[in-house]
Amino acid sequence: MPNTSDTIVIRRGLLSRIPANLELGGVIMAALVLVVVIPVLNVLAPAGSALHISDFSINLYGKYLCYAILAISVDLLWGYTGLLSLGQCMFFTLGGYALGMYLMLMIGKLGQYHSDLPDFMVFLGYPRLPSHWVPFRHFWFAAAAVVWVPGLVAMVFGYLAFRSRIRGVYFSILTQALTYASCLMFFRNDFTFGGNNGLTDFKFIVGYDLRSPATQRVLYLCTCLLLFATYGACKWLTRTKFGKVQRAVRDSENRVLFSGYATANFKLFVFVLAAVIASVAGALYVPQVGIINPSEMAADKSLEAVVWVAVGGRGTLIGPVIGAIGVNALKSWATRAYPDLWLLILGSLFIFIVLFLPGGIVSLPARIASWRRARKGGPSA
Amino acid sequence: MTKFAFWLTLLLILAGLAVSRLAAAPAAPAGDAATRAALVRAILTDGPGRQKLLSDLANSGSRLVRDVLTYWTRDEIVLYAAPDGTSIPVFLEEQQDSEGKARAVRIDNGRFLADPAGREMRFASGDLNSVDTDMRLRSTIQQALDTLTLADPDPDARRSAVVKLGNSQKRQYIPILQARLPLERDAEVRKALGEAIALLGMNDPDPAVRVASINRLAQLQSLGSIDALSRVAAAPGQAPEVAEAARAAVAVINRHIANVNFFGTIFRGASLGSILLVVALGLAITFGLMGIINMAHGEMIAVGAYTSYVVQNVFGSGFGFAITLPFSMGGRLLSFGFTIPGINATGWWYQSYFLFAIPLSFLTAALAGLVVERSVIQFLYRRPLESLLATWGVSLVMQQLFRMVFGANNVQVDSPAWLLGHFSCDDVNFGYNRVFVIIFAVLIVLGTWLLLTKTPLGLLIRSVMQNRDMAACMGVRTNRVNMMTFAFGSGLAGLAGAFLSQIGNVGPSLGQNYIVDSFMTVVVGGVGSIVGTVCAAAGIGTADQVLQQVLGSPVMGKIIVLAAIILFLQWKPGGLFSTRSRSLD
Amino acid sequence: MKPEIILTVEDVNKEFDGFKAITNLNFYLDRGELRVIIGPNGAGKSTFFDLLTGRTKPDTGRIVFGRSTDLTSLNEFEINRLGIGRKFQTPSVYVDHTVFENLLLSLKGPRGVFAALFHRTTAAQRSRIDELLGLIRLGPKRDLRAGQLAHGEKQWLEIGMLLAQDPQVLLVDEPAAGMTDEETHRTGELLISLSGKHSLIVVEHDMTFVKQIAQDRKVTVLHQGTLLCEGRFEEVQANPRVREVYLGRGKAHK
Repeated sequence: MPNTSDTIVIRRGLLSRIPANLELGGVIMAALVLVVVIPVLNVLAPAGSALHISDFSINLYGKYLCYAILAISVDLLWGYTGLLSLGQCMFFTLGGYALGMYLMLMIGKLGQYHSDLPDFMVFLGYPRLPSHWVPFRHFWFAAAAVVWVPGLVAMVFGYLAFRSRIRGVYFSILTQALTYASCLMFFRNDFTFGGNNGLTDFKFIVGYDLRSPATQRVLYLCTCLLLFATYGACKWLTRTKFGKVQRAVRDSENRVLFSGYATANFKLFVFVLAAVIASVAGALYVPQVGIINPSEMAADKSLEAVVWVAVGGRGTLIGPVIGAIGVNALKSWATRAYPDLWLLILGSLFIFIVLFLPGGIVSLPARIASWRRARKGGPSA
Repeated sequence: MTKFAFWLTLLLILAGLAVSRLAAAPAAPAGDAATRAALVRAILTDGPGRQKLLSDLANSGSRLVRDVLTYWTRDEIVLYAAPDGTSIPVFLEEQQDSEGKARAVRIDNGRFLADPAGREMRFASGDLNSVDTDMRLRSTIQQALDTLTLADPDPDARRSAVVKLGNSQKRQYIPILQARLPLERDAEVRKALGEAIALLGMNDPDPAVRVASINRLAQLQSLGSIDALSRVAAAPGQAPEVAEAARAAVAVINRHIANVNFFGTIFRGASLGSILLVVALGLAITFGLMGIINMAHGEMIAVGAYTSYVVQNVFGSGFGFAITLPFSMGGRLLSFGFTIPGINATGWWYQSYFLFAIPLSFLTAALAGLVVERSVIQFLYRRPLESLLATWGVSLVMQQLFRMVFGANNVQVDSPAWLLGHFSCDDVNFGYNRVFVIIFAVLIVLGTWLLLTKTPLGLLIRSVMQNRDMAACMGVRTNRVNMMTFAFGSGLAGLAGAFLSQIGNVGPSLGQNYIVDSFMTVVVGGVGSIVGTVCAAAGIGTADQVLQQVLGSPVMGKIIVLAAIILFLQWKPGGLFSTRSRSLD
Repeated sequence: MKPEIILTVEDVNKEFDGFKAITNLNFYLDRGELRVIIGPNGAGKSTFFDLLTGRTKPDTGRIVFGRSTDLTSLNEFEINRLGIGRKFQTPSVYVDHTVFENLLLSLKGPRGVFAALFHRTTAAQRSRIDELLGLIRLGPKRDLRAGQLAHGEKQWLEIGMLLAQDPQVLLVDEPAAGMTDEETHRTGELLISLSGKHSLIVVEHDMTFVKQIAQDRKVTVLHQGTLLCEGRFEEVQANPRVREVYLGRGKAHK
């Protein structure tokens, strides 16, 4: 058994190694396009011209970028630490709800019922705002909650899971069960988060009108910045000794344990970090999409995020971003053009990638190169 | 010893089932001619003898008598004066011809009235004189009718008639009910009779009789009279001793209700647990023995359930589907589909469809498993995490295919008549479908266990699962064993699907509801341990149901079970029956 | 002067699902001693190492490190931090890391999460790694990924990683497996040179190798989880019960 796992890792390692200068160049190019070109075209290019990027598109791109951040968090766990968590969407959604609560309270009397209470509370007959909702009137409290709520959940769950040495597929199954349980919980009306309708109809964020294109543009730029910040931070992390320990845990946890490292602490740190990253992405997602409901944390969503990472290429930081944007763009197109076939496409794509391209898209150039080398070298050898 | 006890229990349950089925079978219409003769006599006799004749007829329980008496109360029994001077009682058919005339049905032999030449005679509604009735006769007939329903051959009909009379608050029914009591054989109906008599007794003007009736209800632990008792207890101006007795009776019955609910819950938990057991058993084989995380296991359940649906339709009017792809090729829409003609079976032949559906569900799901194993899983035996991901892709594809073939909405699979209904034991209802599921699950577990431990094939399977390379070196065709094992595990899921179709609706995402539960079952039971799986499935199924009952909400019950499982794994990370204590990874 | 005892194992029992892996084992290791443990398959050698390193807990008995540190209540990384290093039977290195990184991760030093986050490799550490690379003769391959090494080289790397931890006790499980005769001999010399400064327990099947490193040191024979006999290599070799066990005339085990 160990030998086979070695060969897999070797193969994956070879495939997913991207030349550093190429990666840097790509990142700078992407930054230029995302942060400068797209917003400029949105504002300056006249509507109707070929170069114009509509407000709708900006909004859509913002959504993709949130997913890209989520994908990085999945990869930080799966690609770098060997922990296939099927619960990242839960943290994403938790972050969304934390900010969504604030946005809900900012609607004020503009709701359908013209009440201080959020619409669903009026509808469900709440006499007054539940006490845990009250502090969410303050943006900073909500922003802090985006970090500490998922952090705490991840801390408690991770502590229990890693303490009892739950690893591999067992970890995946348990995180899926956790997500499933919390999804069921949020679907309930008496959980005070709006039941299956979730939170929606947002109007303002820190005083700005959410429906204005300018606000959406700013949110889009914030998402870009967060993406690059996340990318940079993770890049740094993987280069530290911590990052080396992290990958060592992935490849040979016992060796790390018998070298005096408390691997549970390292895993817990990564798990909490990834939860917070996912949560912040979720918090940025909500004002751009305008709704958050429990279906965002259904078990399938987390698996979908894993698909993005697998398609892009796990164990790299570029791969998840490419995968998230690529698969979601494909989804946007396919669900419009062939709504019946989308799940068939997604499922088949995933089977294909797992079977034939374990290194994902980023491994394609190396793959093609080695194939060509083999063809050139073939006859002489 | 325990084995013996087990078989004995099984036998008893089966025997109980058989007996209750026999009791429900409709009695043959014996003595039809005699009944008809008695009817004619009752109609033609005028005077005191009629009373006696009617009450005799009432005890026959015959449907015919009921129909005729009903016509009589509506003045629809008419007399035909035959040429020979006799009167022949008849009633006219409802269906009238163009002249407004209808054929006449003779009561003495059930045939149509005919003239001497043998031609059927037709009459308009005013042509013949109806049999005389008066207030007294009507009430006598009505009483006979009431008694008749109490003598209906179907115990369920008898019971509902008794309950109706019991709730009527008319004390005049007490003698009728009491008269029925010594004749009644069915225990449930007897109990209902007692309840009804006591219920009506609560309206007695004498407080002592009321108290006695109330005490009788308490003694019978009558669930149906709790509302009436509560009303009596709270009624203004009620005699204090009566109110007191009623309160006491309510308390007794409430305790009984709690017991009934408790055992009912345990029973439902057991049936849910046994379905979970079959699902989890399949997983225990693919996951526990083979190390494959099959996320499409839930879809195998759906395959089984849909197979039952298709089989049912084939026994009926047939099954067909057509899919049109959303794009065209060379200007033509691509579409495909097929139709299986139905065999339009009826009666017991149709009812037996489920017996065919069970093995077919297993086979179809096993076949689906075979295809998945050959096309995807055989490449992933050493990569469990990736098998999880690839099979999730398979699950998506399959769900979409279900939607395309069977539609996005749930479909209904009708339970065959012999699985409908229930038997009661001290007010706890045992649905036949659930009893059936439990028995079958037990048989499947036994079969699987025997297969794995007592047959050469089982030995082969276990050897491959323990060490694939070593088995291959020893000449075992591991490829084939893998294939068959996976197909078997999937087939078990298909069986579970067939059972599920009897308990609930069938939809494209049916399997999704069970997959988390069944993975949990395997993990809790201990991977690779069949005994563990059995215990875990029973435990989780029951806990789920009991918590649902206690908390009054299915969701909270599920959440608590999941939380409990996570905490349980803290205490025993290897599950209940860990088989890996000595492994070195 | 009697040498100090560094490892005390007394009356230890361990059972797995009714299978007695270790029965009433008593074992003492002196500081600086090199002890070889031999025994047929299933004798309980690996379980013995598992018990010493905290991977499994004994059912009964005590395991003490130094004067009074009870090992049975500690887990793997705590025991390692006390100074007990273990080399596994199958070479266990970080295949995706370079040889240099493998050694860096094993180097003695703080092991916490935050220490790892803000770690900077010092010149002293680099020279220590270079020194180790020389010792295990992997200098030219320092930037190669460990997964690309040959089996024997991986064994050496793992020994190097063990030495990087600078442990007081080294538990070495079948170090010569997969090595050429020449490499085996060199491994033997390395282990001998480590004794004195470190205490070592070596489990090995290769009798030539055992003879080379045992010389006139004490050898322990385990059989069916119990201590069969202890003594110098020649004594053990002459022991009729040992011969019986090795020649397979004893009761079938397991």
